[in-house]
Amino acid sequence: MSSLELRNISKGFKSGKVLDDVSLSVDAGEIVVVFGPSGTGKTVLLRIIAGVQDPDAGAVVIDGADVTDSAPDQRGIGMAFQNFALFPHFSTFDNIASPLEARGTPAGKLKEQVGAVARMLKIDHVLGHAPRELSNGQKQRTALARALVAQPKVLLLDDPLRNVDAKLRYEMRLELPRLLRTFDAAVIYVTQDYKEAMALGDHIAVLRNGRIEQWAAPATVYRAPASVEVARLFGDPTINLLPCRLEAWGDGCGVTLFGRKLPVAASYLRAVGHDVIAGLRPEHVVVRETEMSSAIAFDLDAVMPVNVRSVLYLRGPAGVELLATVAESDAGKFGRGHRKVWIDFAPEDLLLFDAATGARLAPRTEARTN
Amino acid sequence: MDQTSTFEKITRGILIVLVLLFFLFPIFWILLMSFQNNDQILRIPPSIAFEPTLQNYTALLTGKLETAAGDLDIAFMRNLGNSLLLSTCAVLLSLALGVPAAYAFARFKFRLGENIAFTLLSFRFAPPLLVLLPLSLYFKQLGLTDTYVGLIWVYQLICLPLILWIVRGYFEDISPDIENAYRIAGHSWWRAFSRIAIPLARPGIAAAALLAFIFAWNNFIFALILASASKQPVTVGALAFVTASGIQYGQIAAAIVLSVTPTLLLALYAQRYLVEGLSLGAVKG
Amino acid sequence: MALSDSVRSNMTLAAKSSPQTSAAARRWSMRRALPYLLSLPALLVCIGILIPFFTAAYYSLMRFRLNLPMMKGFIWFDNYISFLSDAAFWNTMSISLTYAFVTVTVELAFGLGIALLLVRPTRLNNAVSIMLLLPLMTAPALAALMWKLMTNPNFGILSYFVSLLGFDDFRWASDPRTALLTVVLVDVWVYTPFIMILLLAGLRSLPKQPFEAAALDGVPRSFVFFRITLPMLMPYIITATLFRLLDSIQQFDIVYSMTQGGPGDRLMVFQVQAYLEFFQYTNVGRSAALMIVLWAITYALSNLFIKHWLKLRERAHGPA
Repeated sequence: MSSLELRNISKGFKSGKVLDDVSLSVDAGEIVVVFGPSGTGKTVLLRIIAGVQDPDAGAVVIDGADVTDSAPDQRGIGMAFQNFALFPHFSTFDNIASPLEARGTPAGKLKEQVGAVARMLKIDHVLGHAPRELSNGQKQRTALARALVAQPKVLLLDDPLRNVDAKLRYEMRLELPRLLRTFDAAVIYVTQDYKEAMALGDHIAVLRNGRIEQWAAPATVYRAPASVEVARLFGDPTINLLPCRLEAWGDGCGVTLFGRKLPVAASYLRAVGHDVIAGLRPEHVVVRETEMSSAIAFDLDAVMPVNVRSVLYLRGPAGVELLATVAESDAGKFGRGHRKVWIDFAPEDLLLFDAATGARLAPRTEARTN
Repeated sequence: MDQTSTFEKITRGILIVLVLLFFLFPIFWILLMSFQNNDQILRIPPSIAFEPTLQNYTALLTGKLETAAGDLDIAFMRNLGNSLLLSTCAVLLSLALGVPAAYAFARFKFRLGENIAFTLLSFRFAPPLLVLLPLSLYFKQLGLTDTYVGLIWVYQLICLPLILWIVRGYFEDISPDIENAYRIAGHSWWRAFSRIAIPLARPGIAAAALLAFIFAWNNFIFALILASASKQPVTVGALAFVTASGIQYGQIAAAIVLSVTPTLLLALYAQRYLVEGLSLGAVKG
Repeated sequence: MALSDSVRSNMTLAAKSSPQTSAAARRWSMRRALPYLLSLPALLVCIGILIPFFTAAYYSLMRFRLNLPMMKGFIWFDNYISFLSDAAFWNTMSISLTYAFVTVTVELAFGLGIALLLVRPTRLNNAVSIMLLLPLMTAPALAALMWKLMTNPNFGILSYFVSLLGFDDFRWASDPRTALLTVVLVDVWVYTPFIMILLLAGLRSLPKQPFEAAALDGVPRSFVFFRITLPMLMPYIITATLFRLLDSIQQFDIVYSMTQGGPGDRLMVFQVQAYLEFFQYTNVGRSAALMIVLWAITYALSNLFIKHWLKLRERAHGPA
């Protein structure tokens, strides 16, 4: 039995429906990342789970018990807010101790547990301070400590790393999974950062237009995105999207890209005749300096170094634009750009999406996503 | 960038002094009068230098006045006590009624709340007699005329809108997430209200309470209509004092001084809250 | 939406489970009821105000004198119609309106002037503005008494000053020619600080850039005042004006304490008139009608004000 279950949660405001029949489940010890661009109702979802907002329809079930009509203080949940929501007139110690205090934990045990969590999160030296004296990173860890200290069955983390500086965010991205595993809670983690989603989640729920567009393990979401939008959201630089048409050729089928005919897997046959969007990830584009018969000629407009890679801005026949990435070590070959290059890629790397619905056309040979 | 010339500085200084003179002189003069006996008061031309006397105050405090016509009982201290009792109780009651209501209006959006808030707000500006005259008839029927309870209830007309007006804004300024976090931690709504919302709104509650006290103390018309001599606060009592025959002017002055001193001291002590409360949150800062 | 089979099967199982327990339902209704419970007392006070209000409206439609209870009966709008031809009513109307407009105008000009004097937030200016709050904190009834003492023809300090200027028999509030002036003076003394404090806060909250730009451009000060300061200060000026107008037209304390409406009916403002109608002539019907008329005037004005004030609050606090 899963620790947390959401059944058909719907919620609408005057501006429109924010959550539309959302269902998911989280097991103990599992981290589910709810991912989506801002304003898509991720925070509303957390609030409904926590009980500070009521859904229009649907149920929240914790450990098999329907808590939809229970007050927030009855649900045994821990939550860390995006803007920390620390109690400004309590010390850091009292902030963290609050859930234990609510449960009537005796003073000695309380002190012990608060100390333990604080040590784990490396804030034991600021326990006596007031929240306004803490740095953002310390505030965030205090909020986390407060959420964790009572060992809740369900943990809700609302983009906790959003208001924290880049260095700390990177550190926490490594630390958090380790930390969360020691608590064995069902965790829902909300974020807009796809890298965070992939680093932290056992499963990712992509929330778009109030619905879960895809529910899968991170690698699957990346490799086999359910739609154009998901493909676009996951990946940096963004996936190259090329409109074309799926045609039948001989026994098989293929698409015409950059003036070349490219055969694709026979299992796409059933979608022949449709307009499709071909997705090609920049890292799958092989860029050569020298001409090769199989390669297509492109103009290299610019080279932009980004961390340990470089992004190449390519312009091809009929003005089509393409992004490719190369390792930093190879980037030097291309100088500053403004030259001709030849690109190549494997047709198997192409992701095909229905141009009308945006849904990915999954070749039949692919295993059911999960 | 400060290009005020000396001429300007001097003019500004003179003007400020004149303004201060205009506004503070009456208080100063009455204070002076309270330490004078009748002869000194009636002396023309009046002079600042005189031998002060405490007889006015002692007369008020002891409640006995020796006049040429015999001893007179002055119940002025009773008026002072009434003012204190009525104002304090009215404010306490309005806090008890108003703070939870202000919280409800701030945190929940419900039709009834908007209606109540609007009605109370609009009656802040309605003529008091409109409500007081029929009320006086009702009170007679209910036997509430000339009771402390009746007066304290009626004083809510002054205090409650103020509390609601000011405290609501302060509650709205507190991020609801802080209370949400407290509730999620496992505390009931009552604890969230009393341990989080109220402490964080304390400056606003103080400002409102202070203003409500001052307005209640300074009230005249309510007590005039609904209270008899034994329950009258100082505002009405002082007037009755004046019209009674044989009272010495020094005592009137002393009575006035005793009547205004509490509110003036309060105002000075808590001026920080006052300014905010007076502008009733319409002006931030 | 793609879910694993195991998850899907879990869900179908659970969907068949029983509806919420009665305990949960009870908690739910408690949550719904909470705001109503919290505001119940305020509601009671509201009702406590509305009942007399409607009673007053009811009485205003009647011939009702406390000393002639047998004559009580409905006369519909006769009370109001009789006002139209009643010289006393028009006297009340004109006195009240004059009082309101004169006091508000003087206080506005005076208050604005003082606020401009004290606009720079120095310690001295702040101390002065605090001291200037004191008249506002005195009970208007007591303020009137203070001025009554000061204007006493026998020993009043102000009578003395005025006699030095050549006015030997200046009777202040006892003289129909100078009665209005006297009470206006008291009103100005008490309430100017209110306008001052409001406008001062407003002035200090104005953005600095337009003024700095004007100074850089060498714009003359009068221009800055009339074309920059004043327009930006308008919301506060309107707030202050409406507030004071509403209070001034219903002034009771000062006038009653000073002269109870006299000399004659020189100071017979609305509420004083209504008070006397009720307590002296025991004419409940007429006094109620008088109050309804006053209420109608203030209701129109206050509606204007509340909408404006709510807009200002929204700007400060975010949408309500």
